[in-house]
Amino acid sequence: MSSAREIVYVVDDDPSVRKGLTRLLRSGGFASETFESAQQFLDQHDARAVGCAILDLAMPGVDGLRLQTALREAGSVLAIVFLTGHGDVPSSVQAMKQGALDFLQKPVGDDQLLAVTRAAIERSRKLDVERRELADIEQRLATLTPREREVLGHLVAGRLNKQVAADLGTVEHTVKMHRARIMEKMRVRSFAALVRLAQRAGIAGPPPSPR
Amino acid sequence: MPVTIADCPAEAQMTWIDVAWTAAASASLTLGGVHLFVWFKERTQVARLWFFALSVSVPVFGFIELLAMYASTPAEYVVASRWAQPPLFLIVASMVGFVRSYFGTGRTWLAIATVATRAAALIVNFTSGVSVLHRDVTGLARVELWGGVVVSAPVGTLNPWIVLTVISNALLAAFVIDATMALWRRAGADGRRRATVVGGALLTCIGVAAVMGFFISAGTLRSPTPLTPLFFVVVVAMGYELGLDLLRAVQLSRSLAESERRMDLAAQAAELSFWSWDVRRDRVWTNARGRTQFELDTAGPTTLADLLHRVHPDERESLSTAIREAAAQDKPFERELRLSLPSGNVRWIGLRGQREPDGPAGTVLGVAIDVTVRQRLEREAAQKRSELAHLSRVATLGELSGSLAHEINQPLMGILSNAQAAQRFLAHDSVNLDEVREILADIVEDDKRAGEVIRRLRPLLKKGEVQLETLDVNRLVGDVIRLTRNDLINRDVATNVSLANDLPRVRGDLVQLQQVLLNFIMNACDAMDGQPNPTLLVATRLDDGHCVEVSVKDSGPGVPPADLERIFQPFFTTKDHGTGLGLSVCRTIVNAHGGRIWAQNDPAGGATLRMTLPAMAESK
Repeated sequence: MSSAREIVYVVDDDPSVRKGLTRLLRSGGFASETFESAQQFLDQHDARAVGCAILDLAMPGVDGLRLQTALREAGSVLAIVFLTGHGDVPSSVQAMKQGALDFLQKPVGDDQLLAVTRAAIERSRKLDVERRELADIEQRLATLTPREREVLGHLVAGRLNKQVAADLGTVEHTVKMHRARIMEKMRVRSFAALVRLAQRAGIAGPPPSPR
Repeated sequence: MPVTIADCPAEAQMTWIDVAWTAAASASLTLGGVHLFVWFKERTQVARLWFFALSVSVPVFGFIELLAMYASTPAEYVVASRWAQPPLFLIVASMVGFVRSYFGTGRTWLAIATVATRAAALIVNFTSGVSVLHRDVTGLARVELWGGVVVSAPVGTLNPWIVLTVISNALLAAFVIDATMALWRRAGADGRRRATVVGGALLTCIGVAAVMGFFISAGTLRSPTPLTPLFFVVVVAMGYELGLDLLRAVQLSRSLAESERRMDLAAQAAELSFWSWDVRRDRVWTNARGRTQFELDTAGPTTLADLLHRVHPDERESLSTAIREAAAQDKPFERELRLSLPSGNVRWIGLRGQREPDGPAGTVLGVAIDVTVRQRLEREAAQKRSELAHLSRVATLGELSGSLAHEINQPLMGILSNAQAAQRFLAHDSVNLDEVREILADIVEDDKRAGEVIRRLRPLLKKGEVQLETLDVNRLVGDVIRLTRNDLINRDVATNVSLANDLPRVRGDLVQLQQVLLNFIMNACDAMDGQPNPTLLVATRLDDGHCVEVSVKDSGPGVPPADLERIFQPFFTTKDHGTGLGLSVCRTIVNAHGGRIWAQNDPAGGATLRMTLPAMAESK
């Protein structure tokens, strides 16, 4: 099954809930790891892990919401699903605002839980792919010289070679040379592909000319 | 000195002596008759019988004395003088008897000696000489008394045995003086007057007679000794006192009737009824109110069984025992009991009874008061208290509802996921039966757990009667902490529990005491809202050996000193949505358990709510 690689992390202070969830997830084909407290999870967690985290909202010590914040700050791509013993509107709103995938009330039926888990893993996976792509782009950008980054900025802003040369106080030919080098380093064939990459990496054009 | 009959005053002519003697005799007899009648009606007053004896003896003596005074020959005189002695003996004896019974004082030996010497004189009277006074009477002297009345006086030799009468008189005087002084010392104003009048009359009588006797025997005075007037003085004095007693009795009965009326009025105002039970005859008497109260037949006698028949069967036996014990062992009793009346009414009465004070074991006296209304009000008040406690409990649980839902949903979550996992495993071909068995065991465990939460919760929500039972306070604390656990977690409260070992048990209502602790914990949590590191310490301990103390300490800002007492008052609250009833209901509950509840601030910060409950004796 495609989900075999991803792990579902269950954090709940109640051992019987942990046991039950583990079994249910296994019956749905998910591998899981359980933690009895948020702290234990944070201590053992790998920030690059991909998958789903099912968190109990109310736990002694660090509760579910604070665990969610900590994971986000650590750059985790885990999709978070909250479980709670009773609906608490302010907590659920905060959880969703912080990007939780869902907020489920105990007891949760198998279909709902497995479906949400599947969706969570899907989302985590997507996030992971995006994160990898971004990392790749960042890596290529890192090979550019400062002058080339400058030129790239101007080009992404949609300026012609001639204009760039004028702005940078050089000749058009030199700009053309830079452009070819940049496309080679960024491993793109077309100028349009280059612009797309730069935009994903968050590179915008230079500030408008003072003149 | 011979005297002839012709010298004597003509019998046809009445002298003042005749008149005086006759008047004294009839007055004496009348008085005696009156008091004989009184004695007949009231046999305990023996003095009246003695008085009657005296009042009869005096006229007899007086008649004989008259005969002596009018004797025309020595022989006549001797006969009269001899026969005057028996009534004289009776007079002395009744004087002694009267003083003894009327004063209640006087030495027995003196009394006996007086009467004995007088009896001896009586014997001598008929055996030696012509009488105890004279050996012989040789003649009669004519003596003119006041008013020109001439009487006879004896001339002859005295009987030496006359000394017996002198001794007897001396003894009588001694006896009367002693008895009078004893009464004087002992009695109040009334008794002193009695001592003065009766004792004074007697002593005057004895004294005058002695002085006259002395002069006559010495030959200085030639005269008969007219004792009748002296005795009459005594009769009048005694009759006067006895008459006063009658008057007093009348006044007494009048004031008794008045006080009875007042008592009736008071009894009516207080709705009291009186009853008494004559043990020997088995007769119950009650006043009119009592008959209405117990719905007793107005006609015919009532027995104790009739009365007990009106008492509710549950209490009949114990009341019967109490009444019989009151009669037999002088053990007063007091109780409240139900009457099941023939009309079908049920009333509550307070009943008190005791043996008649200072009386024999013969009568039990008591009062009864209708307490039906008070009982009903008390029951209603208790019900109101219980309802208020219930409301306050439900309100407190309402605050906890989220946590309670969590407590139940946890095991439900375990059950559902385990069960559905099992269904899924079973849908596959390869079933691991061991795992299914394990799953089922876990489901059973979770189910029990959910049941346990409900078990703990149900009585708190139930609206029930107060049920006293023997409780382990530590277990009670454990239960309440389980119920609040989730709330404490949600509020980030660190909870420490310190339970004392070997705590004695307490007697109380589990639900109400849980409610108190629940309120303590909720209040502590509210006090710590927004405070850094909220910490709760729930502790039990044995307080000076007689009380079990439960305390809940928080790490909040403490209670303003002015409010330490006020937080237990109804409607006092510092919370936005508080009813102000929680702690006031707690105080009612703890007080009803005979315990104490209070709040105090800790020097190190935070406040502590405490309650103590009386420990049960170690006999479990």
